[in-house]
Amino acid sequence: MSTATAPARTSARPPGPPRRSGAATRARRREAAALVLPSLLPVLVLSVAPLVVGIALAFTDARLVRRPEYSVVGLENFERLLGNGFFWESFRIGMVWAVSVTLLQLVAGMGLALLLAADLRLQGLTRVLALIPWAMPPVVVAIMWRMIYSPNAGPLNAALGSVGLPDDVNWLADFSTALPAVVVVGVWVGMPQTTVTLLAGLQQIPGELHEAASMDGAGAWRRFTAVTLPSLRPIVTSITSLNFIWNFNSFSLVYVLTEGGPGGKTMLPMLFTYLEAFKNRNIGYAAAMGVVLVVVVVALLTVYLWSQLREEKGAR
Amino acid sequence: MQVHRHPRPTRRTAAVAGPLAALLLLTACGGGGGDEEPAAGDGAGDAAEPVTLEFQSLSDQPAAIEATQAVVDSWNAENPDVQVEIVPAGWDGIYDKLITQFNGGAAPDVIHYEAASIVPFARDGYLADLSEYMSDERRADIPEGVLESVTVDDQVIAYPTELQSYMVFANRGLLEAAGVEVPSGETMTWDELREIATATTAGGVAGLGWGLKSPTAAFMTLGPQFGGEYFDGSGADAELVVDEGETALPELVAEMTADGTLAPVTLSQTGSEVLASFYAGQVAMTIQGSFQAANIATDAPEGFDWVVLPPLEGPEGAEQAANPQTLSVNIDSEHPEEAAQFLEFFTEPENLASLNRADALIPATTSAQEALATELAEEPNWAPILASGQYFTGAPYLFVDAYAQWKDTVATPAFQRFLAGETDAAALGEELQAGWDEINA
Amino acid sequence: MRTLVRPAQYTALALYIVFLGFPLLWLLSASVKSSEELNSLTVSLLPTEWRWDNYSQALERQGLVRSSANSLVVALVSTALVVVIALPGAYALARFRGAMRALGTGWILVSQVFPVILVILPLFLILRTVELTDSLVGLTLVHTTYTLPFALWMLQGYVSAIPRDLEEAGSMDGAGRASVLRQIVFPLLMPGIVATAMFSFVSSWNEFFFALVLLQSPENYTLPITLKMFIGGEGKVALGPLAAGSILAAVPSIVFFSIMQKRLTGGLLSGAVKG
Repeated sequence: MSTATAPARTSARPPGPPRRSGAATRARRREAAALVLPSLLPVLVLSVAPLVVGIALAFTDARLVRRPEYSVVGLENFERLLGNGFFWESFRIGMVWAVSVTLLQLVAGMGLALLLAADLRLQGLTRVLALIPWAMPPVVVAIMWRMIYSPNAGPLNAALGSVGLPDDVNWLADFSTALPAVVVVGVWVGMPQTTVTLLAGLQQIPGELHEAASMDGAGAWRRFTAVTLPSLRPIVTSITSLNFIWNFNSFSLVYVLTEGGPGGKTMLPMLFTYLEAFKNRNIGYAAAMGVVLVVVVVALLTVYLWSQLREEKGAR
Repeated sequence: MQVHRHPRPTRRTAAVAGPLAALLLLTACGGGGGDEEPAAGDGAGDAAEPVTLEFQSLSDQPAAIEATQAVVDSWNAENPDVQVEIVPAGWDGIYDKLITQFNGGAAPDVIHYEAASIVPFARDGYLADLSEYMSDERRADIPEGVLESVTVDDQVIAYPTELQSYMVFANRGLLEAAGVEVPSGETMTWDELREIATATTAGGVAGLGWGLKSPTAAFMTLGPQFGGEYFDGSGADAELVVDEGETALPELVAEMTADGTLAPVTLSQTGSEVLASFYAGQVAMTIQGSFQAANIATDAPEGFDWVVLPPLEGPEGAEQAANPQTLSVNIDSEHPEEAAQFLEFFTEPENLASLNRADALIPATTSAQEALATELAEEPNWAPILASGQYFTGAPYLFVDAYAQWKDTVATPAFQRFLAGETDAAALGEELQAGWDEINA
Repeated sequence: MRTLVRPAQYTALALYIVFLGFPLLWLLSASVKSSEELNSLTVSLLPTEWRWDNYSQALERQGLVRSSANSLVVALVSTALVVVIALPGAYALARFRGAMRALGTGWILVSQVFPVILVILPLFLILRTVELTDSLVGLTLVHTTYTLPFALWMLQGYVSAIPRDLEEAGSMDGAGRASVLRQIVFPLLMPGIVATAMFSFVSSWNEFFFALVLLQSPENYTLPITLKMFIGGEGKVALGPLAAGSILAAVPSIVFFSIMQKRLTGGLLSGAVKG
């Protein structure tokens, strides 16, 4: 990730909000607590509690059997995991998948959002059309794309053939095209969400900023880089980090498309964890995999968010 | 799994283990509770109140849903004290649902599934031993190999109901045009299959199409015909064996692909997808699950003349590994005896015959097979399919603990690489073995 | 220059629509094809023979209507809950820095990364204790809880994107904090709230795993569960009815999108800020 170099830059900026008196700070704290409390309650019961149990399992040899007996084994699961070549290979594939899908989603979503925000005709219709992929359950999406990619009965190859290109590519089964082919499906699925998020962000930019820039004689590209992009930065940061997490975490779509094939080329790390947890019923070992995934992804995101935060501050 | 532990329970580990144990204890105790609150609101524990059994059924074909309902209705009419309630569920995702239900103590009383997937639940202690409930009559009626596939540690853990075998479907027109006589013996050897495939391969037509998108299941099932057992022993002690018997079939497929008699595009497709090429006359024959006979009957273009060839036979016989659909009883069911009686009723010959007819599958008992054969004497394509029913054999892979993981992470990718021509037989064997060793390290 | 921009924009938009829309068009075409045609090598967008019985089959076979109603209720209620709960929380996350913010952000990330399969068993036990398994109320709560992190995260992004000066300017004009929020922040946030609501709706509408595991009675099934039942054992897929069912099932979402997208427009709002 290119952002990894960002933290090296140091900036000596003073903390944003001006210092306040003690009483005011306490009042603000209370206010903040009151605002957050409604979110906190369901989350503590239904998310944090199961999560803590899940993480704790990583340090045990628990199995999913009736009347389980297990003991705490400390870091043993992690030591074992270090030597698990399959897991790390799938981790690598997962990274390639998540990074490429996230980047393409952002670029494609940004383009579409700008078009939808531009004052074009049939705006309402095109917006709804652009969102429809969202309304399809993942399993239907996967089956639909399997039909499209079909080597001998699919419209993609038929279309390629009709313009004289090779029409016998076995998209999902060829070792070189399988991963790119599923990446395209991943982008297709994730685009509406990225687009809507960015579109909402675009609408939020006060119109006078653009007007001011126009009056200064800035062209379209200049206005985009000088006004639009900086204003959107917090939203771009939020949606890319979330997209990255989701893409890294998703496996059901790819599983229906390729079942991890051909030859393991599309085996994502979550699929691995799933097999270990549910098929092998080694929930302790699987939990260790989950913890490793969390640690690595959160570390990557922290670096990313930190660098973004810096640039954000720098831009202000 | 050979995880060697060093349990040094310090105070800190005890503190961590405390809440965990409590939660998991809840799991264990919850087991019995799950059935105290069945959907039918029988809150008061009145003695006269009928027992309600939840039956989670996976039947998906409309006809099979009807057949299942009919069997249940007649049971309910005959047994006012024991009412069975069907809870429909889908095949897709059922494993995840079951594992949560079992661990959360909320599994239904009667569970429909298949041997390969239900055996792990039996190993983990979730299924009732049905040995003492199964009548001698039924036991004698189930072919030995099939009974073996539902026997875990000498306990019968399920009643087998429906089976499928791999059959060769042929386009009669293409065979005749190539001057091939449609085989009609008791069985057909793989050599004969190859000969026909070679004879029918010409001008854009490949002799054979085989949907091997998930190659492992096919190779495990047909392996016994070449002496390929793949596993020795069971449970955590099982050992993988990859020898000539195991690689014979994959090599045969590779040879046929190389000489053009097997259409390469089909190797990465599902069986159903290959059927399109079969209907279009691009492949003369296709190896498919026997149930596809029903789909071919509805989907084939009008006038398409197809025939089911005799069961395949390899150098070691015509055996195919049995992986029957099953009905099991939850060990925490309050009424295991009643549930077993229901299973006994469900597997009576006429019930199994009607269900299998609806699903186009092979009944798991000899008498139901015979009943179906008499019923369908007029339909020539059913004869070879039902005949394949006598060749089912128990399969070691069903009882191997790490099989599911090995299949998905090692075997399937390795077979796919081999079939795509990326590796040779020696490398295939090494990959299978090395992956197995790594999983079991 | 200006004359070239518009055609280029329309061309680009058309390409996007083709990319996003064609697979759906293909699905639509599958829904009116016969099983015979779907299982042939013929590649054609228009069916050789129009068949509407996939739709009647989809409707009568698996309780599609009932499960759509269930999905709609769960999705709408959890969306409303998510927005109401997340809005104040997100504001706090964006505006108050410090330990709480770090903790909140950290949890949001961890909860989204940790595999759901490892969480499902403890969650199931908790819900079982309060008798909320096999219940749409329980499922609604779960969907709300698991969409919240996203909503908080996105909304705090939108709040951060509103220049703090605007709020401070409002305060200096003598407006109270509440009225600053209502008159300045809230209108500016509207597109963000709408986008978040759309997301919450969709993620509940499409959610499969929790629904699969938590719901037991067929009358409680949600749409993704029902649609999956078109996929049988041995990879048998009833393609025609599945396609028809998915298209029928998409109608409520499309209606929801059409209503919501109008509110994605912020034209009037920037005027409000100026004034």
